[in-house]
Amino acid sequence: VSERSRAEVDATLQTAKLNPAELLPAVHCVSFGPQASAGECCLLQLEPELCAELEAGRSLVIRGEKDEQAVLCSRDKTYDMKIADTSNMLLFIPGCKTPEQLNADPASCNMIYSQIAGFSKNYWELRRCRPKLKKLRKLLMEDPYEGPSSQKDQTSTFSKYTTEDLFSLIQASEEEILHQLQVIDACKIEGRYWRVLEFNYEMKLLDHVTQLIDSESWSLKKVPLRTCLEELGSLEPREMIEHILLSYGRKYIDDAGEVYFEMREDKICRAIAQMLLQNAVKFNLSEFQEVWQQSVPDGMTTRLDQLKGLALVDKSSRPETICLLKVEDLPEDNQERFNSLFSIREKWTEVDITPYIQDLCAEKQTVGALLTKYARSSMLNGVKVYNSRRPIS
Amino acid sequence: PCSSYSSGTGPLAQWMLVELQGEVEPRQSGSLAGSLLGDLHYTCEGIPVLIVGHHILYGKVVQLEKPFAVLVKQAGAPQPSPGEPQGHYTVTALIKTKLLFKTRPKPIITHVPKKV
Repeated sequence: VSERSRAEVDATLQTAKLNPAELLPAVHCVSFGPQASAGECCLLQLEPELCAELEAGRSLVIRGEKDEQAVLCSRDKTYDMKIADTSNMLLFIPGCKTPEQLNADPASCNMIYSQIAGFSKNYWELRRCRPKLKKLRKLLMEDPYEGPSSQKDQTSTFSKYTTEDLFSLIQASEEEILHQLQVIDACKIEGRYWRVLEFNYEMKLLDHVTQLIDSESWSLKKVPLRTCLEELGSLEPREMIEHILLSYGRKYIDDAGEVYFEMREDKICRAIAQMLLQNAVKFNLSEFQEVWQQSVPDGMTTRLDQLKGLALVDKSSRPETICLLKVEDLPEDNQERFNSLFSIREKWTEVDITPYIQDLCAEKQTVGALLTKYARSSMLNGVKVYNSRRPIS
Repeated sequence: PCSSYSSGTGPLAQWMLVELQGEVEPRQSGSLAGSLLGDLHYTCEGIPVLIVGHHILYGKVVQLEKPFAVLVKQAGAPQPSPGEPQGHYTVTALIKTKLLFKTRPKPIITHVPKKV
């Protein structure tokens, strides 16, 4: 097909009864490029921040195994992907100019031959979503680190995961994954592989530190790294001692350049509660509170609100009881999470349920909005409670 | 598995989207490749006018609130099905502008038979 000539274009205008004086001089003769039908191009609708990222030269990645719904990740955000159908035909054309561009460049030629690179009736639509991080914990919990004295590691056939492995397996952005590794106190053992500590081993390490704090009569706000390593280095690997201090304390450096830790009271009390609660299904609340307070380091005060998302108090039973219920053990999907919570307890107050649904909130979504969507409210003894919208079998 | 969409080297090209109603079909049987769609003009006021076959379409220039990225499949990758975006693609271009032709095409009457 030879290129259209100016004469042909003008003849078409005449037939169409269009007045060239009312038109800009330039015309695009649009034809289908050689690969237009091949279906090798597709369109991805971008949230504004993604456009900026691409223009800055950064890349986007699609992640998902065959059994997972694909997500798109930028460096720090995760998006669900969905096909949107239009009833219209979308043609994508390189080198096509807008009237502004034509007017801005009076020297531009007035026959522009544009080739359609591809066309589609649909495009990928993105919606910001929560990163799918439950799998991260699941992978690392396949083989928690039990300490150097454990024989397990030598004979272990479990996979070990490097940072790159996790980036390709987890449906989340790199920054979200790295942040979560910090949140779950994962550490790199042998320099390469991310591990989480097996809980009892973690408690053993913590116990070494708290015993040392006690015997040295240190302030909980000023625990010296150097002395901990010296005193405990014969009992446990130095990296583990430092790791436990980083997990349960806030690191700072004094004017003399010495590294200290301010121990995190809430986190330590919470861990000790978990240790006590995991030994039985349910505890008498007041007995538990007594034992718990006695078990924490001197100078620390236990409070039930330290256990949000870890333990559930039943105020309706006589005597009142408490049991372990960890939010991270519950399903990640919203509907499944609510189903699970309502099968544990039929009616929840907002105060009780909030720690177990807080993490489901999307950007700018409130717990109230979630409850409106997934639960039904009613009054019980003058208190507003929430129950399932559907019958739970 | 995952697939990476990077912009490759150099600044991204800016393409344009043309949105038309209905289907695009080749005039003769055979592929569309190489065949003409039509002539695209702009009025002095900036209104796009597309002459396709025997129709005139009037449209408007729209700045997209949500731009598009054009992903081009790299050679050798397996053909993905519509439900599976996995595969190896490169971001080839950005689209920030579209020409939307939503009005009913005006037919061009080329010959009016005279009444006898």
